[in-house]
Parts: sequence; structure tokens; C-alpha cells
Amino acid sequence: MFRTLSHRTLTGVAALAVSGLALTGCGGGGGEPAALETDEAITLNYTFWGNDDRAGRYTEAIAAFEDEYPNITINETFSDYPSYWEKRQTEAAGGGLPDVMQFDFTYLREYADNGLLLNLEDYFGSGITTDDIDESLLVTGQLDDGTYAIPTGYSAWSVFQNPGLLAEVGVEPYEGGTSWDDYDAYMASVTEAGGGSVWGGTDYTQRIQDLELELRQDGRELFTEEGELNFTQEELVEHWQKGQDNRDDVTIPQSRLEEINPVSGFGSSLTTSEMSWSNFLGGYLGDSGAEEITIVAPPTSAPDVKDLYRKVGLMQAASATTEHPAEAAAFVDFLINSPEVGEIFGATLGIPASSTQLEGANLEGPDKAVQDYLDSISDRLGEAPAAPVSGYGSIEQTFWTLGKSIGLGAITPEDAAKQFFDEAAVTLGN
Amino acid sequence: MTTIESNPAVPVPADPEYGTQPAPRRRPMRRHVPTVVWLVGILALSALVLYPLLWMVSASFKPSSEFGSNQGFFPENPTVENFVKVLQGIAGIPTWRFFANSVVLGIGAVIGTVISSSMAAYAFARIRFRGGPVLFAAMIGTLLLPFHVLIIPQYIIFRNLGMIDTYWPLLAGKFLATEAFFVFLMVQFIRNLPRELDEAARIDGCGHARIFFSITLPLIKPALITSSIFAFIWSWNDFLGPLLYLNTPEKYPLPLALNIFNDQTSTTDYGATVAIAVLALVPVMLFFIIFQRFLITGVATQGLKG
Amino acid sequence: MATDSAHAPTSGSTAASGTRPADTRRTGAPGTRRARNRDNVAAYIFLSPWLLGFIGLTLGPMLISLYLAFTDYNLFRAPVWTGMDNLTRMAGDDRFWGSVRITLVYVLVGTPIKLAAALAVAMLLNYRARGTGFFRSAFYAPSLIGASVSIALVWRAMFSTDGPVDGTLSFFGINLGGWLGNPSLIMPMMILLAVWQFGAPMVIFLAGLKGVPAELYEAASVDGARAWRKFVSVTVPMLSPVIFFNLLLEMINAFQIFASAYIIGSGTGGPGGATNFYTVYLYARAFQDRQMGYASAMAWVLLLAVGVLAFVLFRTSKSWVHYAGDSK
Repeated sequence: MFRTLSHRTLTGVAALAVSGLALTGCGGGGGEPAALETDEAITLNYTFWGNDDRAGRYTEAIAAFEDEYPNITINETFSDYPSYWEKRQTEAAGGGLPDVMQFDFTYLREYADNGLLLNLEDYFGSGITTDDIDESLLVTGQLDDGTYAIPTGYSAWSVFQNPGLLAEVGVEPYEGGTSWDDYDAYMASVTEAGGGSVWGGTDYTQRIQDLELELRQDGRELFTEEGELNFTQEELVEHWQKGQDNRDDVTIPQSRLEEINPVSGFGSSLTTSEMSWSNFLGGYLGDSGAEEITIVAPPTSAPDVKDLYRKVGLMQAASATTEHPAEAAAFVDFLINSPEVGEIFGATLGIPASSTQLEGANLEGPDKAVQDYLDSISDRLGEAPAAPVSGYGSIEQTFWTLGKSIGLGAITPEDAAKQFFDEAAVTLGN
Repeated sequence: MTTIESNPAVPVPADPEYGTQPAPRRRPMRRHVPTVVWLVGILALSALVLYPLLWMVSASFKPSSEFGSNQGFFPENPTVENFVKVLQGIAGIPTWRFFANSVVLGIGAVIGTVISSSMAAYAFARIRFRGGPVLFAAMIGTLLLPFHVLIIPQYIIFRNLGMIDTYWPLLAGKFLATEAFFVFLMVQFIRNLPRELDEAARIDGCGHARIFFSITLPLIKPALITSSIFAFIWSWNDFLGPLLYLNTPEKYPLPLALNIFNDQTSTTDYGATVAIAVLALVPVMLFFIIFQRFLITGVATQGLKG
Repeated sequence: MATDSAHAPTSGSTAASGTRPADTRRTGAPGTRRARNRDNVAAYIFLSPWLLGFIGLTLGPMLISLYLAFTDYNLFRAPVWTGMDNLTRMAGDDRFWGSVRITLVYVLVGTPIKLAAALAVAMLLNYRARGTGFFRSAFYAPSLIGASVSIALVWRAMFSTDGPVDGTLSFFGINLGGWLGNPSLIMPMMILLAVWQFGAPMVIFLAGLKGVPAELYEAASVDGARAWRKFVSVTVPMLSPVIFFNLLLEMINAFQIFASAYIIGSGTGGPGGATNFYTVYLYARAFQDRQMGYASAMAWVLLLAVGVLAFVLFRTSKSWVHYAGDSK
């Protein structure tokens, strides 16, 4: 953290100079405080992905912002997640990104490195207040030469369990945070008691997050500082092979999962546990219809190592080509800091990153449960990995697809690992 | 030259499909057995084809949480909540708005496609002109390239024309016959028209415009109806075009609204997703039912080969 | 009158054949120069909307994609010329060849089945004209649904373990289990999905059948022709322009199968790579991996390959497609 701080102050000056040049002739002007003296009517385009529920909340939040800044009108546009990125890529290629965007940590580097995002650091203290955001979260939006996005909220990797289903099969819940063997034994006992209709969990080796977790328990990261894969093909083979016993006898068959996709095994109440990001709680509750879902810490092979981290999910960013950077910054500030926005969104964008917003959010029910979980693992929370490499979204997807194929028996771990490394070479070399 | 009335009331005596047809002499048998067999066969077939759709309708009454656990036909806890939710609108926009937008785009697509494609088809099929074969090959060529690689260049064109967030990018292609499918379809029908009427009209001194409007167009009515049906349905279901070119939710057509209950990154309401998909089917279904009638009654002037 | 000779770009399709004496099948002296000019002008007036669209909206983007096929283009930065790199990479790309293989199987098996089903049902519907409106609508109904999450849910339910398909097959003693979890059954499932949506070719066949004069069948009956014979000697020739259209278009569409494979496989080519069809892979490269250069190269390879097939089809069509307006 110390490293990143000093780094930021150094680069801030340079960035300011650069952007001052770049923005000459545009609207409000770079160094101006966000007093927004102008009364000129301004329209900003804002875009987000999400469902009808989120759309309703944004409409409310935008109305609140427009009350505060009567001369600014926000035009919102929204779509589902995959479509969202297809549209952004088309706009980026065609030179017309919206002024302000809901953003994803996964794509931050891709867009920022290509000069598509506004350096928000220029507005820190003069339009954007960052005092209430935990430094460790704020730096996630930071790349080498500036801060390009600000997190709205965060989550952490976790084990979800369905107590109702556990009671049905008569197995005690996994207590969380113990050894991988414990977790495997728990899954096995559920599968045995489930008699072919309920399983203990899903093959966890198929997701890259679990490989990352294992690596971090070993004191390593997925990627090197140069952005290359930080594990060997042999290690990957080994990782996938390790799941073989579970796949054979314990976890829900992949063929069954394919049939219920897009609902997951856990969401279908076919498994009593599943590992995922803590912010999926709401989705799981909706999919399964379960009355209660509990969250505990993932298993670990090194209890003293800070292997977990606060994963930034949603962020807010602005386009480098916006004609109204100061106003865009003001809107970003409003979205991340306003207690009113916190109240409107609750924890639907992740547990709020800004403390003022967290207060406004007044979490209760499932949201409170997520927050309590995050508090409970504070001992295991370490420094978050650097912003994902360019192409990480594609790498993550390839990993998962291959993991599933192994589960179907369509490919061996050896061939899958080879294919993964071939793909990664192409993606990272891009 | 005789005109054959294809009178629906008179069954075509020789049905090519019916293989075990008895000898022509035994008339009484011929009428009934085939009809019964025909009816049984076609009923069975339509049941088979319709089952998935009926499943979908039935599923629209399932609560969202049932989608993972119950893939059966009947909902375990039937509810109309999905429809209630869907009809409440999205982000303050009433649901009928999306339907209305889709209707506007669909009608525009039909008008544009029929006019522009029939004109081009007439030129390709009936006029001999310099460059014809090359242009025809080029038109077929446009069918062959996967459209994904054209998305970005086309986006840039419409952006430079200042047409983003308007319906123009979605309709311009229709009025400019960019879908070679329709042009080629009409070419095939026009080429299959006997030439005698054209020739007669020419002798009477008619120009191409006159022949096109008073002879060709009436005669290719089945192709025009078919094209209208497809143009409407494709426009109705088009997702990518509206996604890329429209920004204002008030302008969204249905396909964009269909996806909005479905968020892969947090909560998906499967019940609502299916419910609005079922509702979205109703207008196209009606459109088809109305238009398909013309497929039977429209053609009375074929068979000019006498 | 003099200028009406049937020009047939269809049969003369691509290149070279412009010199073919197109008017061998028509009488008629070659037109006077003035008449020919008039025809040229008329033709381009009729063509003007299409021509504007072709030049303004299609040709430019196509040429750009052709250029991009020889570059490395990540969408965010200017394309970099790389010559034949994309093509050589394609030659050694296992996923590419996998996608070619399954797409070919899909086209070769799926297209004939879909067309046969569409023609059979169209004739079944054409057999009786009264009361078929309902059935026409019923058979077309599946084709009304766009590719959406809902159709994926429906399809998964149909083919899951103990679902309707598995249940029916089990009743007959065939135990395949759920199809979705079995990569080798995905192809038959995708073909069934395509056949299920046979509405478009069916409607086109119906429209074509309406143009077959009943008197031809009557004449054939008088001659004592049997059903099959009538099908071969009346229906097929009279319908041949429409059969040709459906064959060509369904083939082209099958090569570009995207939407259904994308929703069934969630865009990842799964399960087990079984939905990694050509354009699904192309799309993944273009928009998930932002390798638009590679995707463009793939698109043009497909264009050339299918173009050759289309050319061959056009050539052979001369021997079996009969246009009432072309021949006497």
C-alpha cells in the first residue's frame, strides 16, 4: 500500500499535465474545481448493466442528482452484461463511449491502457471526494499513471450453504475456514446422505478463483507483475487432476449442471454448498427460493496467510473523450459518496466502499449477512491483486469452460492445460 | 391463355404427398381415407411442434425459484406474479411502450423491405442491363459474410451521419434493400412468371414502370406476403441493431426489454423473463395469422402457360 | 418487345458468363441501341435503392473487413498490418478446425433434413386448402421466437434427464439420458432445434406451391401418373426456383449458425466445445478476445468457401431449375 501511495503522488502531477493538454478546448477545463459555476444546460450519457431492479434504482439516483445539479441532465441507457460490453467495444472502436459508465474491474486495464478512460485523479479534492473510501479499495482503480475508476462496492470469495437442504439430508454445515480435506469430507457426507438427488457441492477446481486462492495460500498471485501467468502448465494439470476424486464420487455431475444452466447447482437446490463471490447471495436466494442461505469462509491450507481479499466489483468511470469532464466527475462523486445513493442501492452494487454511503445504506437482512461475513474474515483479508491484465475476462472464461469440459469428460486435464496455455499466450500477447 | 382459379374448396385431386393413393377409379375411398390420415398425421405433428411452446407458456406461471428445480411441464406453485411484474414496466417506462416501439420498427421494416427489394428484384429478373450479372453476384456475395465483422464499420458510418439513438440505422437498411435474402427471393418468383403478359404489355407500349406495377407486383403477391412476414418477424426479434444504435430506454423495442429481467451478474428473474417472452409472442403470432391468409387467397392468376 | 429477352443473371451468376449467349433460349432480335440504353436507365432506376444501400452500407464495411483480415486489430488501437499472419495462425488453430468440422456436419446433415421437413409439411398443408390456417400457424409458431434466454430454458427442459425427449426414448427402450450433458448428443440436438424452426422455408415452399397450376396435376392424372411420378415430374420442376432458393439460403444460413448455438452454449462453445460453431468462434474472437483481425480473416475464409459452393450450386442449377419466364 505504501508503494502505491507514493507512486500515485508522483504520477499525479504528470497525469495532470497530460490531461490538461488533452482536454484543451473542452468544456469546463481540466484544473477547475468542480464548482460547476456554469449554468449552461449540459447533458451527460450514463450507462450500466443490470436488471429491472437496478434500472429502477438508478432512475431514482439520477433524479436525486438532477435535483442537486438542475442544469445537468443524465440520459441513462442499460443492457445485460454481455451485451453491455459488446456495445462498449463497438463504441470504443467508433469513438463514442458514454460520458460516465458503470465499470467492471475485469476490464479496467483493457480500457484504461488504451486511453479510453478519464483520469479521475485530476478531480480528487476538486470534485471527487475520496476521503471516505478505504485506501485499499481506492487503489484498485489505480493503474500506473492515474486512477481511472472508483469502486462502488466490494465482495469476497466465500462458501455459500443452504441450511434448509442440509437439514433435509441431516448433515451438519461446513464450519468454514478449515482445511480443504474438511470441506471435501463435508461434501462427501452430503452426497452420500443425498442419495443421488442432493450433492455436497460443485467441482471447485473449474474456476480460476479457486486456483488463485490456492496460489495466494502459497504466497503467490495468478499473474506476475509483468502480467504473465504465474503458474506452470504442469501445475495447472495437477490442479485439475486434484479435483478428479471429487468429480468421480462427490460433486454434482457436470452433465446435470449443463441441463439446469443458467441456474447453478446451488441455485437449483441440488447442492448444499457452492463457492462464489459474496455478492451473489441475493441471486442465490432468488434462484433457490430458500428461506436462508449462510456464508462462511472458504477452506484454506494455510490459516495464517492472508489469502482472501476484498474484490472490487462494480466501479464508476468516465470516458476520456467526454466533453464535460468536470460534470462527469461530479456525477461519479455523487454515485460513490452520496448517502442518498447508498440508501437507494443498499448493497446491490456490493457492500458500499464509501463509509458515508455505507451509513446511508443502512444494511439489513441478507445485505447485513454479507457485511457480517466480510467483517468476520478480516483476519484473512490481504492486499488485493493488481488490476487484472488486459484480456483477463477472456482468460477467466476459457479457464471455466475448460474446467467444465473436464467435468464432462470431453477433455483430459493435460489437454485442457495445454489449450489454456495456448489461449493465454494469444490473449496476453495481444 | 387461361387463368386457373385455385379454388380452396376443391381439393387438388392428385396429392403428390399421399403415396399410397388408390387407383383413380375408386373415387369414394379417395375422399375420406386420405382426409382422416391427413388429419391424424397433421394433428400429431403439430402437437409435437407446439409442445415446447406450450411448455414455455406454462412455465411463465412458475415462480422464478422453480426454474432450477422443476423442469417439468406444470408449475408446482402457479402464480401470475410474473405477468404482474412484467406489466408494471421497467425503470418507469410502461411495458406497452416497448411493444409500440417494436410495432413501429416492424411496420417500417415491412414497408421498406417490400418496396426496395421488389424494385431491385424486378431489375435483376426482368431487365437486361449492363453490369447486371456482376451486381447480382455481388448481391449474393453480401449474404456470405458473417455480419459480425461488419458491425463496427457500419456503426461508424451511422455515427458519422449523426444517427445514433434514432431509428434510422435500424430502418435505413430496410429501405435500401440491404438484405439480399428478400431481393433474391423475389427474383426467383419473378423469373418464374411467364413472360407472355410482359410481352403483351410491351406491345401495348407499356414501359417498365407500368409492367412492374400492374403486372409483376400483383403476380408475385405470395412472395411479397412472405417477405412482409419475414421482415416483420426479423425486425421484431432483432436484438443487436437496437442494442448498438439506441441509447434512450424510451426508444427500446421489445428484445432489449426481454433481457432486462435477466442479469447474469446478480439476480435473474426467470419467471418474468419467460412471461415477457410469452407476451412478446402474441403480436407476431397475430401478425402471422392475419398475413398467412393472403398466402391462400392471393393467387388467382398463376398458370398462364396455357 | 425487342428488348425483353430474358436476361438471367441467376444462371449467369458469377463473372465470365456475361459473354454467354443469354438469349439462346429466347427468340427476339437483339435490341436496338436506343432500346438497350432505355433498359439500362430503367434498370438502374429500379436498382437505385439497393445500389445506394450496397455502396453506402455494405460494400465499404466489407472492404474494411477484408483489409482488417490482414491486420492485428484489437478494436481500441489502429490496426497493424501483419500480412498473412492471421491465415497461418488459422491453419494451426485446433479450435478453428474443430469449428470447421462441426459446422460442416451441421450443414451437411441439418440442411437436407430441415428442407425435407419443410417441403413435406408444406405439401401436407397445400393438400387441403380449407382449415389449414391453424396448422400453418402452428407449424410456423416455433420460428416466431427469437433467440432469447427463454428459448434456451425451453430447450434445456426438453432435453434434460427424464425430460420429454429422454422420457419418450426411454419408453421405446432407448436410454440416452439427458442430451445436454453429453457433448456427442449436442449436434443432433442442434439439428433438431433447426428442424423445429423450419417455418421460413415452409412458408416459402407454400408460396411456391401456390404457383403450381392444378391443371398440370390433372393432366398428369389423366396420363395415369402415380403420386411419386407427379411429384417428380410436376411438383419438383415447377417448384425448382423455390427449391433452389431455399437450398442455397438454408445452406448459407447453416454455415453461419450463430444465435441458437450461442444461447445453448452460453456463448462459450460449451458443453465440451460442442457448440463451438464457426461463427460462434468467430464472434468469441472478435468481441470476447478483441481479435477483430483474426475474426475478419475467418469471415473472409468462410465467404470464399461458401462462395465456391454457391457458385457450384448456381452452375448445376441450370440443369434442374426451370424458370417459367425463361424458357418456352
